[in-house]
Amino acid sequence: MLKKLIFTTAVTLAAFTLHSQAQEPRRGGTIRFTAPYATSFVSNDSHVSNSVQDEIYGYALHRSLYKWDSVNNKPVLELAKSVSTSADGLVHTFKLRDDALFHNGRKMTADDIIWSYTRLMDASKNYPGAAFIRRIKGALDVQNGTAKEISGLKKIDDFTLEISLIEKGEPGFLFRTATTSIFPAKEAQDPNFFNKPIGLGPFKFVEHIPGSRMVFERWEKFYVAGKPYADKLVISPMGEAAARDVAFRNKEIDVSILGPTQYVAYQADANLKKGILEVAEVFTRNMGMNPTHKPFSDKRVRQAINHAIDSDLIISRLVRNKAYRATSWLPLSSPAYDKALKPYAFDPERAKKLLAEAGYPDGFEFEWTASPNESWGIPIVEATIPMLAKVGIKVKVKPVEGSALGGIIAKGDFQAYIWSNTSGPDPLTQMKCFHSKTPRSSCNYTTFSHPEVDKLIDEAGATDDLAKRNEILKKANAILYEEAPVWFFNYNKAVLAHQPWLRGLQPNATELALQYYEDLWVDETSPAAK
Amino acid sequence: MLPYVVRRLLQAVPILLAVAGLIFVMFSVIPGDFASTQMADGRTVVDAEQVARMNTQFGLDDPVHVRFAKYIGKLMTLDLGTSFRTRQPVINSLLERIWPSLQLAMAAMLFAIVIGVPLGFLAALKPGGWLDMQSMIVAVSGLSLPQFWLGLMLMYGFALILGWFPSFGYGDGSPRYLVLPAVALGVAPLALLARTTRAAVLEVMNADFVRTARAKGNSEVRVMRWHVARNAAVIVLTTLGLQFGSIMGGAVVIEKLFAWPGIGSLLVDSVSLRDIPVVQACILLLVLFFLIVNIIVDVLCALIDPRIKYT
Amino acid sequence: MKFRANLWIGGALFATVVVGGAFAPWLAHTDPVMDANLMNAEVPPGAEFWFGTDAQGRDIYSRVLYGARIPLTVGIVSQLINTVIGVALGMSAGYFGGWWDDVVNGLTNLMLSIPSLIFALAIMAILQPGLTSLLIALGLTNWSYTCRLSRAATLSVKQQGYVEAARSFGSGSTRIMLTQILPNIAGPIIVIGTLGMGGAVLAEAALSFLGLGIRPPFPSWGSMLSDARDQITTAPWISIFPGLAIFMTVLGLNLLGDGLRDILDPHSQLRQA
Repeated sequence: MLKKLIFTTAVTLAAFTLHSQAQEPRRGGTIRFTAPYATSFVSNDSHVSNSVQDEIYGYALHRSLYKWDSVNNKPVLELAKSVSTSADGLVHTFKLRDDALFHNGRKMTADDIIWSYTRLMDASKNYPGAAFIRRIKGALDVQNGTAKEISGLKKIDDFTLEISLIEKGEPGFLFRTATTSIFPAKEAQDPNFFNKPIGLGPFKFVEHIPGSRMVFERWEKFYVAGKPYADKLVISPMGEAAARDVAFRNKEIDVSILGPTQYVAYQADANLKKGILEVAEVFTRNMGMNPTHKPFSDKRVRQAINHAIDSDLIISRLVRNKAYRATSWLPLSSPAYDKALKPYAFDPERAKKLLAEAGYPDGFEFEWTASPNESWGIPIVEATIPMLAKVGIKVKVKPVEGSALGGIIAKGDFQAYIWSNTSGPDPLTQMKCFHSKTPRSSCNYTTFSHPEVDKLIDEAGATDDLAKRNEILKKANAILYEEAPVWFFNYNKAVLAHQPWLRGLQPNATELALQYYEDLWVDETSPAAK
Repeated sequence: MLPYVVRRLLQAVPILLAVAGLIFVMFSVIPGDFASTQMADGRTVVDAEQVARMNTQFGLDDPVHVRFAKYIGKLMTLDLGTSFRTRQPVINSLLERIWPSLQLAMAAMLFAIVIGVPLGFLAALKPGGWLDMQSMIVAVSGLSLPQFWLGLMLMYGFALILGWFPSFGYGDGSPRYLVLPAVALGVAPLALLARTTRAAVLEVMNADFVRTARAKGNSEVRVMRWHVARNAAVIVLTTLGLQFGSIMGGAVVIEKLFAWPGIGSLLVDSVSLRDIPVVQACILLLVLFFLIVNIIVDVLCALIDPRIKYT
Repeated sequence: MKFRANLWIGGALFATVVVGGAFAPWLAHTDPVMDANLMNAEVPPGAEFWFGTDAQGRDIYSRVLYGARIPLTVGIVSQLINTVIGVALGMSAGYFGGWWDDVVNGLTNLMLSIPSLIFALAIMAILQPGLTSLLIALGLTNWSYTCRLSRAATLSVKQQGYVEAARSFGSGSTRIMLTQILPNIAGPIIVIGTLGMGGAVLAEAALSFLGLGIRPPFPSWGSMLSDARDQITTAPWISIFPGLAIFMTVLGLNLLGDGLRDILDPHSQLRQA
């Protein structure tokens, strides 16, 4: 019976996929998108904010040098047609697109890129994109005020640009987000630019009613022929999951990001079930332990915690399988994910033994800093409290606001925390967070230090061979597993619900709510098809 | 009357200063600053150096009293400062939010008055009676439902099941979008209003001048209409004025839930991003609103009831 | 004396809640925190779990009983603090007048101008979440009505013969205030106190709802409601029972307050309340 059911579902799904592939994208209509996280849009200026919310509209309005290829999970050229790299791997020469037009009809040239990158290094403004641009030679001099121009940016001609980096690496990981998007050099200096921003993206800015919606219309002269498909795009910031649920069921919005509760409810509904897109996102949910709190300085205590918590039970019952069990740090969708690793087994007896060996036969007490987040916050902590109590560990919850959590952790002001951290897409960048030279404030939150891991990370950085690099990183990842600087809880399964008429969604593993709108289209069944 | 209004306005100045001071103290104590809220998503790394740089940029390095003095100095010249998040003048973010906020607050008030006052009157006709008890239960339900909850229930009922109204958003500014958030916001003041009306009517009905009016042979209806209504109006108006504050406060939850572009949702976002200049401006504006509304209420009361004199 | 329905029903409701909270350890079926069993998550109300279980698999009946403790403590204690502050300030301001009266008036206006929930939020943000902080936050923000009322009542009582008489016998100010004035204004103040207690229970729920109440996982009705916000449609019982508990308490206190008003204060002076 069950088998039959699965089979029918599979057939239906296959038919559905085939059907949607076969159909020609339809032009026209309005895409009614949502920005599903806490705050509304920070600003009309994509350079100012790095919040995901702003990136969600940034993908409509702007373009960066690279874009993220969700299907192949890697950055690809966007505003350039080709790139060549010097022998030492530092100098990248870009042949730029000569058909990219800003929304006022002016053609983009190398000057716009140079101006945008230079703007990002303005010391008095502290734009978040500076974190990427400072990897260009001479960028720091601009920030420090000793230079006016970034020496590593050289214009060969209007459509050829040479970028010199300070170290080897894939530039696609640096220049792909909306915080490094390309602004029109001259127009962006107009005082009114903030209220009427223009960019290179597939959609033109129409209006922004802060706290309620941002409206765009099709940019007819977008450089990809025939795209975008939709006439209009409306993005509403809706942080409250329950409100989004009503609006989605009421067919007022076309997409919604689902939490665990709704994931179950939508799967149980014959109609809603058809429009669910799932992706193994590159986020690792974990409990970080501060070695300055004495028990946590002992590896056996940290391992005991991993053994004492029944992670599988929490994932299946509380997180409703909207997550994958974490083995070590690097997630399922990472190219360096280690299939051979088995997660820590739920074994309270072993946990007790480890605690006794470490000198805590009667357990100990610690304070756990947590935000209210339903997937990696207080509800999870509450579920672990009775489990940890069984091995003698007492937990005191310290609730903090979601927005303050990161700052508190970066300052080291905690005994333990629970957080969701990005663990991709580039495994090398992510593993560097466990290099002893990385300070706590730059992502080594548990001040992890292990000479062998340091050596492996350095070795991986020096290797050009990608396959070999991933093998080395796997070894480092395995040591992390053994050392257990954190409780490895889960890797997020991002779930996006979409209406049946919205097509062309991309399985973006870096953040599922980020979609390239030029690929989306609505068929004639949408209430906003006209 | 005019000197009274001027005096009341002048009294507002120390209140505003005290509020501004309170907010400064609050934000210097609670954890987090604008720079570090940028890493809340778990994706972005803002290292210690960047945090320090941003704190310098926003002048957060100075001790609280210095910052406060600077802020007040600027405030005197009507400069509300620059928002951390948009890097634009605060006044710009504020201005575009005022009208939607007022729209919502007024609609909520209207709803509360239209239902609450008659309910209170009815309850007062027979104190202790069945209707009185019922109206009390209605009033208390209104008070004990968290607004968030009520808002969601309205969404489910009137948007999803009945399909009468859109469930969220500002739309084109048409009243259809206003109804649900206004009702959600108006239920708590409605409850209080019903209760105060009841108390006021009961009190006035027992007062000597009403007894005299009755004794003079005026019909019950006339008594109700004239004496009671006029005297109760004063009390009801005063309550409304005081409730204005809670409406503005409740808007924080409701605006966020319904994606309504008002000051409340700006305030929530700004608090969570630690955008202190905007928080300051929002709260000062709300307090100022409250004070002005209450001055207007006092003036109205004096017009309705000539026995009230202000000096 | 005629039967006063509001007084008795209100009293009974409130007493039920107080008994439930006070005897929670004997009435509850399970421990509200430790007896979580994820295998029993979101079981609807039935014979085993009278009120069902929540997402963590905890017995809601037991949590509602224990959850009464924080709101009740906060309601009663914070209202006592408010009453003491309000009476002390209001009575002294009315009695002494002069600059002290101006100061108290200014303070009262300040308190009235800031929505008390925002004030309480600020205090909760500054202090760490916890019971003491809740008591401070709600105990310091709701005295303005009591203060205005005691001041007005003191002003009117002050002029009456017996106060003059007491003064001429050489009684001290404090003595006069406590023995002559306080008994005269006690009625309205008890009424306001009762109603305010209902307000404090709601304020606690609102703060807990916003995550600024007591530390989880110890239950409080407000935080139970907040935790259940996403399950309103899928598992409504998780939010219905704590919601009902709040409703019962507030309704009880309001009915009680009205009943007391009818007895204590037939010619009400509550123009502002």
